[in-house]
Amino acid sequence: MASIVDESVTSDSANLEARSRFREAAGLVAKIVKFHPRLFVTAVAGAALFAVCTVASSIGLRWMIDKVILVRFNENRSDAGALVIGSVIIIGIGLLRAFGVVIRRSYAGKTEWRTAATLTDRVLDHVVAQPVKWHRSRMTGDVVARCGIDSDASVAILAPLPYSSSVLVMMLVSAAWMLYVDIPLGIVAVCVFPILLSLNIGYQRRIDRYYNQAQKELGTLSEAVHESFDGVMVVKSFGAEQRETDRLAVITGRLRDARIDAVAIRSMFEAMLDAIPTLINIALIVLGALRVRSGQMTVGELSSFIYLFTLLMFPLRIIGYLFSEIPYSVAGWRRIDEVLSETIIADPMRKITTSPRGVGIQVENLSYSHNPDTTLIDGLSLKIDKGKTVALVGATGCGKTTLLHLMAGLIEPCGGSISVGDGGVALVFQEAFLFADTLGYNITLGSEISAEHIEEAIDVAQCREFVGALEGGLDTTMGERGVSLSGGQRQRVALARAIAHNRALLLLDDTTSALDPTTEAKVLNNLRLLAGRQTVLIVASRPSTIALADEVLFMADYRIADRGTHKELLSRSARYQALIRAFEDDRQNR
Amino acid sequence: MNEPVGRFTTAKTINRGFGVAPALSKGIGVTFVLAVVGSLARVVIPVTIQQTIDKGLQPDDIRIGFIVQMAAVAAVCVVVASLALRQAVYRLGVGAENGLYTMRVKLFEHIHRLSLADHNEERRGALVSRVTSDIETLTMFFSWGALVWLLDGSLMFVVACVMISYDWILALVAFAVSAPLYFVLRNLQRRLVAAYDVAREKNAELLGTVSELVSGTETLRAYQAQTPMLRKSKQAVRKRADAQIRAGVIGAFLFPSGEVFAVFTIVAIICVGVFRGVDSGLTAGSMVGFVFLTYRFLEPIAEFTEVVDQTQTAVAGLRRVLGVLDTPVGPPQAPNPVALPSRDLNIELKDVSFSYSSRLDTQDDDLPVLRRINLEIPARQHVALVGESGSGKTTLARLIARLADPTIGSVFLGGVNLKRVANDELRRRLVVVPQEPFLFAESIAHNLLFAAPNAEREDLEKVIMNLELTDWVQSLPEGLETQVGQRGASLSAGERQLVALARAALTNPDVLILDEATSAVDAIAEVRLAKALQALSVGRTTISIAHRLSTATRADRVIVLERGLVTEDGTHDDLIARGGEYAKIYAQWLSATSVQN
Ligand SMILES: Nc1ncnc2c1ncn2[C@@H]1O[C@H](COP(=O)(O)OP(=O)(O)OP(=O)(O)O)[C@@H](O)[C@H]1O
Ligand SMILES: Nc1ncnc2c1ncn2[C@@H]1O[C@H](COP(=O)(O)OP(=O)(O)OP(=O)(O)O)[C@@H](O)[C@H]1O
Ligand SMILES: [Mg+2]
Ligand SMILES: [Mg+2]
Repeated sequence: MASIVDESVTSDSANLEARSRFREAAGLVAKIVKFHPRLFVTAVAGAALFAVCTVASSIGLRWMIDKVILVRFNENRSDAGALVIGSVIIIGIGLLRAFGVVIRRSYAGKTEWRTAATLTDRVLDHVVAQPVKWHRSRMTGDVVARCGIDSDASVAILAPLPYSSSVLVMMLVSAAWMLYVDIPLGIVAVCVFPILLSLNIGYQRRIDRYYNQAQKELGTLSEAVHESFDGVMVVKSFGAEQRETDRLAVITGRLRDARIDAVAIRSMFEAMLDAIPTLINIALIVLGALRVRSGQMTVGELSSFIYLFTLLMFPLRIIGYLFSEIPYSVAGWRRIDEVLSETIIADPMRKITTSPRGVGIQVENLSYSHNPDTTLIDGLSLKIDKGKTVALVGATGCGKTTLLHLMAGLIEPCGGSISVGDGGVALVFQEAFLFADTLGYNITLGSEISAEHIEEAIDVAQCREFVGALEGGLDTTMGERGVSLSGGQRQRVALARAIAHNRALLLLDDTTSALDPTTEAKVLNNLRLLAGRQTVLIVASRPSTIALADEVLFMADYRIADRGTHKELLSRSARYQALIRAFEDDRQNR
Repeated sequence: MNEPVGRFTTAKTINRGFGVAPALSKGIGVTFVLAVVGSLARVVIPVTIQQTIDKGLQPDDIRIGFIVQMAAVAAVCVVVASLALRQAVYRLGVGAENGLYTMRVKLFEHIHRLSLADHNEERRGALVSRVTSDIETLTMFFSWGALVWLLDGSLMFVVACVMISYDWILALVAFAVSAPLYFVLRNLQRRLVAAYDVAREKNAELLGTVSELVSGTETLRAYQAQTPMLRKSKQAVRKRADAQIRAGVIGAFLFPSGEVFAVFTIVAIICVGVFRGVDSGLTAGSMVGFVFLTYRFLEPIAEFTEVVDQTQTAVAGLRRVLGVLDTPVGPPQAPNPVALPSRDLNIELKDVSFSYSSRLDTQDDDLPVLRRINLEIPARQHVALVGESGSGKTTLARLIARLADPTIGSVFLGGVNLKRVANDELRRRLVVVPQEPFLFAESIAHNLLFAAPNAEREDLEKVIMNLELTDWVQSLPEGLETQVGQRGASLSAGERQLVALARAALTNPDVLILDEATSAVDAIAEVRLAKALQALSVGRTTISIAHRLSTATRADRVIVLERGLVTEDGTHDDLIARGGEYAKIYAQWLSATSVQN
């Protein structure tokens, strides 16, 4: 024990750190209690009732021993009245105490989970309000953790609070009580508080390091595992299963070692917590016997004294556990607070204005860059008339996707303006994302869309054939319990989604790349039938797709290098020609 | 404590857990004995009190000497017991950590080897939580719950024995009065377990919706459809809170029930004891000792309430972990691998059928994805696989790469059944490049090196040069050291494919399968890459899946898949001349890519 306490009283800096940590925890408690104060106060009231009854229960026992048991067995008299009174006291106080426990526990639970719900709701609001830029700068798993595990962690501090406050009350009341019953005995008994408390604090401080270490390793592990499983296809393709397992095993080994170090300390502490109060208890019995001999105490008083002391041991033992959650809670709260106190990046959507009548989309002097020290898109302007279909053509990495995301209001331009015709935008991403929900949901995304529109979209996107083959049709669940689709099928579902939403501007980012020429031709033909209803900007690489368009925007190096009909561009732009003719040239050169 | 069936499966689950991680149960007998010895400390006080009152504090005869002697013995017992307890806790903890380490590592390997059908995007989160949070529930359990079960069981038993040895009539009274508690407990506990099951389920639902909300954020924003999804998530939040609170309330009633019964039992004991009086041989000390013992006897119930949820959670976690370990690994490892020939790997498919849904049970209501495929691809041939979207091309490529085994039939590589080829060798000799390649959130160089950890810098540069990608790499802000972002998100879709292609080329495999590996790169780059790859592929068997038929025209042979069947097979010119499906697709392609139309 000495070593633990000694180490706990280390340098000033550690003390300072402990103090600031304490302040942080206190601040967290103050903040978090305010979410549902009434529930919390009820829980504390229940706890107080419990505390008072715990101390009071020793009265009943003392009464029974002195007035009933000793009278009966030492003097061989019976006193029915005393027996009844004693029984009523013991049962009454016992029931009250239980009532206090029920109130405390159920309200502590209510406080905890209601607060967690409130916190999660707020975090969700923030996360949803943050635009794509914010999300792109974060790992998905990390954001999910902040919505879930972290709010659970930060409210974990709430659950033991009412109980801890009752332990405090109990300690004070019983200390007073024990001193009142017998001063020398009381002093010895009260000694147990500081001893256990400092033991606890020393223990917490010593074990913190290992727990923190373990928590850190767990975080590392979780991230590494996430990525490793995410890339399972690559792992398998290169036969790196063993390599990856070994890599993860190293991290797991570090986690285990930190935990085993913690166990070594914890088991010591656990044993001491068990032994010390019991040893003091034995000392109390001896001392008490002396007091009884000198006539300053009755046997009943001594027994109830020991009884009270025994009752106190349990809360004293576990109070350390209660507070062991604190660092964990504080860390969780810090991560939540980070999200909550971050200013919400303005939605790029707000800058997108409504274009004048007859204009599908207008972009003026647009500039954009992924990182602050470079400019990618610089002074880009374009205008597309309403109802026109325009192809966006350009080499790999020339900025097509970036431009489409700007137009859809997903990312914010550094300068310039974008205006879009009335009726909104629908964007089909280059790589389709499907939700683990029904096929229907994947098309509507929860919006009210008439069955007619959905059916039409399914036909236009050529989904009919495989949707028809699914047993549940639109109600078929995709994903874990549902079916998986091939690359081209996924792409067509994403297209159906865009068409069903029937927006004024349709942005298609290379949406037929995974389709075979036959299916592609059908899809394009269907889109052609729709032409005129919507303004369409379509990223295209094949002449067939381009042929769909009234006009072509040729993009090179983040600029609109040229614009005109397909024929015009062919005749005047060598770069455009090279790009478009690549397949044809290749055929001829064979 | 549960239905018989439930208990059986729980016991079986735990048993299987021990089987997977023997360290968990190694020396558990010794630990148990130590724990029993450790729990003896808790009966020391009641016994000491009884002895003191009866033998040391008789009104007429107070024997301090005796009391001191007895106290000394008690103190020694306490010290010994707590040393035993320390050892028990330590052994349990170390055993648990070692066992869980083994379990985690087994899971890593197993999950990596699961077939791709078990690895779809949507299951990924679940698999990650198997090795993180599910194992964590076990860690938590072993640091507290297990100890409580171990100690409290033995404690109740020891206390009951002491009670009987004091006075069997009083002991019977105590047991009789507290007996109804058993039924109360059983009832409440069953409800509690059910309530926690609901809570866990709601928790999983919450995590599911939230992670969809976050990972689908771009899509949702593009359609301004965050609100319905947010509403759904918040609903899940509320439902989860309700479920947790419900469980909490049941627990709140369960928790003090032991103490309530203790109060009644004590009163009953005192009444009976007083009624029977001195003549029955009872003493004041044993009465008081009995009161203390009654508390000790019923005390574990409160603690048990605390760990019941933890225990259920841990068993559920273990069950899920075992569920993963029970899922057969994708293609199982070859027990006695046969070496592949050193050069010239030909591919042969004999009567191959495949279906994703049913593993072996043939429920014939849905058509297999591939049906009775017979193919022979000689070494060094360049084959183009074409066919409608959803016709099974990717699936066929997966079978050849042994990312899955055929449901019926066999695949041979270099004359050896794939099932008998060692995985390491197969992966060295055969590489697949998928359409949407995965990149680690590291630099480009790191991603390339994943394929060949021992490659030198020059090797990387050589591959880049051979594929004519040097200009592109130089245009990047930090060249090969450029960070690609989460899943490669800081690169364009085409650029990601370039990296994946270079990664595959670095290993210089004997068989290369390109599954729409260049579908997102522009036409010039694609043609250039195709030529570069061809130049590099001397002596290599290549299978290209591409909707851009420029690949097919360049290939030695074209195979057409239609709804899981090979319908055409021949050279480009043959198939065109035959005027079948391929000729139709090709005509489509011609018109799609011809500039004058
Ligand atoms: N988040 C990002 N951070 C830094 N650079 C990025 C980011 N996203 C894209 N880039 C870079 O911006 C350039 C344009 O990317 P974009 O995705 O717009 O190209 P693209 O024209 O759509 O190409 P592709 O035809 O391959 O889809 C690329 O060179 C890419 O590396
Ligand atoms: N993991 C999976 N689980 C269940 N079914 C699947 C899975 N992957 C694909 N399928 C189904 O198997 C069939 C064939 O899919 P496959 O991916 O082989 O097609 P494909 O020819 O590659 O198509 P695409 O050209 O669109 O990529 C499809 O109907 C698809 O829905
Ligand atoms: Mg793009
Ligand atoms: Mg495919």
